[in-house]
Amino acid sequence: MRIFDNPNYDFIKYRWHAVIFSLILIGVGAAVFITRGVNLGVDFAGGANIVLKFKEPVPLGELRAKLPVATIQQYDNADKNSVLIRLPQQKTEGDYAGAIVEQLHTDLNPGAAQKHDLNYHGSDKLANLLIQADPEKRGSNPAAIAHYKTIAKGIIDKRSELGIFTSMNQVTSAPGVNTTIAGVLNQQTSLGRFNVLNQETVGPQVGGQLQKKALWAIILSSLAMGAYIWIRFDIGFGVSAIVCIIHDVLIAMTFLLLLNLELSLNVVAALLTIVGYSINDTVVLYDRVRENKRKIKKPMSLADHLNLAMNQTLSRTILTAGTVFLVLVAMLAFGGEVIRSFAWILTIGVISGTYSTLLIVPAVAVAWDNFASKRRPSSSSARVEAPREEPTRKRRAS
Amino acid sequence: MNRNVIWKIVLILAVLVVFTVAIIPTKSNPEPLKRGLDLKGGIHLVMKVNVNEASRLEVDQAMNSLKQQATAQSIPSPVTRRISDSAFLATLPAGVSSAPYERIAGDFLPSFSVTRVGNDLRFTMKSLALKELQRDTVDQAKEAIDRRVNALGVTEPIIVPEGEDRIVIQLPGVDDPARVKDIIKTTAQLQFRLVEGGRGPTAEALYNSLPANLRDEVDILPIDREDEMGRVTGVEYIAVRKNVPVSGRDLKNARVQKGRVGEPVIGFSLTPEGAPKFAALTGANVNRQLAIVLDNKVVSAPVINNRIDNDGVIEGSFTQQQAADLSLILRSGSLPASLTTLEERTVGPSLGRDSIRQGFMASAIGFALLVLAIIAYYKGAGVNAILALLLNLVILLGMMAYFKATLTLPGIAGIILTLGMAVDSNVLVFERIREEMREGKTVRASIEQGFSRAFATVIDTHLTTIISALFLFQFGTGPIKGFAVTLLIGLAASVFTAFFVSRMIFDIVYKPTDRPKELSI
Repeated sequence: MRIFDNPNYDFIKYRWHAVIFSLILIGVGAAVFITRGVNLGVDFAGGANIVLKFKEPVPLGELRAKLPVATIQQYDNADKNSVLIRLPQQKTEGDYAGAIVEQLHTDLNPGAAQKHDLNYHGSDKLANLLIQADPEKRGSNPAAIAHYKTIAKGIIDKRSELGIFTSMNQVTSAPGVNTTIAGVLNQQTSLGRFNVLNQETVGPQVGGQLQKKALWAIILSSLAMGAYIWIRFDIGFGVSAIVCIIHDVLIAMTFLLLLNLELSLNVVAALLTIVGYSINDTVVLYDRVRENKRKIKKPMSLADHLNLAMNQTLSRTILTAGTVFLVLVAMLAFGGEVIRSFAWILTIGVISGTYSTLLIVPAVAVAWDNFASKRRPSSSSARVEAPREEPTRKRRAS
Repeated sequence: MNRNVIWKIVLILAVLVVFTVAIIPTKSNPEPLKRGLDLKGGIHLVMKVNVNEASRLEVDQAMNSLKQQATAQSIPSPVTRRISDSAFLATLPAGVSSAPYERIAGDFLPSFSVTRVGNDLRFTMKSLALKELQRDTVDQAKEAIDRRVNALGVTEPIIVPEGEDRIVIQLPGVDDPARVKDIIKTTAQLQFRLVEGGRGPTAEALYNSLPANLRDEVDILPIDREDEMGRVTGVEYIAVRKNVPVSGRDLKNARVQKGRVGEPVIGFSLTPEGAPKFAALTGANVNRQLAIVLDNKVVSAPVINNRIDNDGVIEGSFTQQQAADLSLILRSGSLPASLTTLEERTVGPSLGRDSIRQGFMASAIGFALLVLAIIAYYKGAGVNAILALLLNLVILLGMMAYFKATLTLPGIAGIILTLGMAVDSNVLVFERIREEMREGKTVRASIEQGFSRAFATVIDTHLTTIISALFLFQFGTGPIKGFAVTLLIGLAASVFTAFFVSRMIFDIVYKPTDRPKELSI
């Protein structure tokens, strides 16, 4: 099977179209950024994220009335009855999410405060309740305590599996729960309206630091890659590699803005993956150009060299991007809510990385070459200049 | 078969076995590949130790000992005032030489430097001493948290100091975050202090009701107001002496007991050093009230009935749970300073389970699609590429298990990037082989040339990515670091599988001696 038989596309010809297209896209991104701003996740903006799962459909109105400052939206598919509550940053440090969750628990479960809430509390508290009630009259020896702890663990494990208990029958069908224990549970416990799936608080100090560190990590690793390519190839390629990285990150950010996804540390990891792929493509291309320059004796312009190399490696470029794309589509379709924004960014990155290797990188490399050869009147004179370095080297040697 | 090839097969099988063993769960190691909190559920906390509290305490003690020494040496006691977390000002009586006070500072306050400011002496903690105090405070806090977490029975907790004054705490599998956070954060500074006077409805009213000479000697602290039935009805205030004769450090043990009417109380016993102090305190003050102060709140203020030598009881309006938690905290010792939460991430066990289920399904489907695509495109050679890819995955996961690296969501991104690059290495080689075949070379020559020509490219792509991964590892925080680690391991494995394993499979299938005419690629 072959994708291309001896392809011979003139990529260089369309480079300006591509540059303009990219600039328009990035411009749209910038416009959205200015008007709406980026949806900074809790990692960077600070504040709190809370994900709750309800027994019944999420009481959105009630939650919005209780928490007017929060952004409240459905989490995952509607039938999961889950909600994401996003709270803005506070000035002071502290356990923000924890306090809000506690407050919601008392507000949404009026009267239930006296009873142990099986949907809210963990296994330790439940174990304590059982140990104190001691329905099986085992006393307070270590064996009895271990026995009740195992039962409590089993009940909470069951809850983890179901997501939330919707009826007491689900609780009493957990392993080890006999009628006496079920009696105690029915009497002393209740099923609250929600279970906490996730809560995060990032205080003002940490948020700022995370932001700075992530930014530096991206900048430094991009520069390091540019430097490596400069050393292995030449400065023109190094510069175009860095431009290519910036391009891909900006395009991915544009889609992040358009899809209104949250910028989190996981998304930063996705951006870094994109940078890795895109640079990979570029290195393959440069390698081929270098090899061809050695092999082909007749003089060829850089543009022709790039075109030739791109056509030679086209099958590989498409195939590699295609296989990764398949994996990402699967992640997007089946990966669930937690990795959704992450998978989106990667998918867009793979497309934009391939596009930028084929159209943007050559544009920059050719532009840099033209710019550089204008400074040195012609490339032939550059070759004439070379011997002039000889005396300096000799002088240093002597 | 040639000897060389046999050795290669042995090596590859050995690699396969070593890394497969690493990722197979056993009884003693049921989870060889550690999952991060984002996949498993648990709490991640970044706490700030308020080290300034410790230095403030140090300053208070220094002010006291300066006054005491002055009195002992029969020179006028200076008026002292704390001016920052690590400095205080001593105002000398008019016309008194500062020399004797500076001598006291030199002899008894070695961690302070003294400068003259007009008529006053300014005592500032030396920066080295301050640093040391901060470090000690963080270390002590870490140890106390360690003991508490162990008492809670959390498996595989991670508790490490970070930076100057932070502690990072990771508790996998904890399903009751609110309680665990409470237990960790309670400072639990327990003090036994004598009560002066009665109680007042507000702090101000009580202060005004005290005789003037007592006002500087006491602290006004809150206490629960109870009705005759022992129910809490509100808050009132009580005055306790500043002097702390016995504190939580003198406690040897604490446990929940049943009180007179079966209510939960905390029984404690004292250390050999604490017992005589407690005996002296209680013996000299029979019929007076003794306040039990926990974190600046009076838990109870019982009347001392008789001298207590060894064991005592703390009563208060506790629930069973509160009493159990408090005795756990008292047993594991107090924190030297309070903690502030800077960052908290709690992933409930249900969410972790869901992410894993979906993540696994997505990976399996993605991988299946990839296998189909590669085999459809490269046929026989595609099978070769898939074998190399599988081996790559085994090596990657095995290495992570050996290094005890944790698998996180960004780590999975690293794995995808790596597998993508591993496929790419094979694709580069195969495309090269096809090119050579098109130019009319023999099967053997094409394989030979394909591998050698693609080698430089693959090394270049991998090195570029390795360089960026090193930077990410150095400068990244948590999740980005995890990403970098999987990337570094995976890239090394990818070079090995593409050039050693794939090559060898070609060598076995298309033996040089056979002069094969057709290549399935």
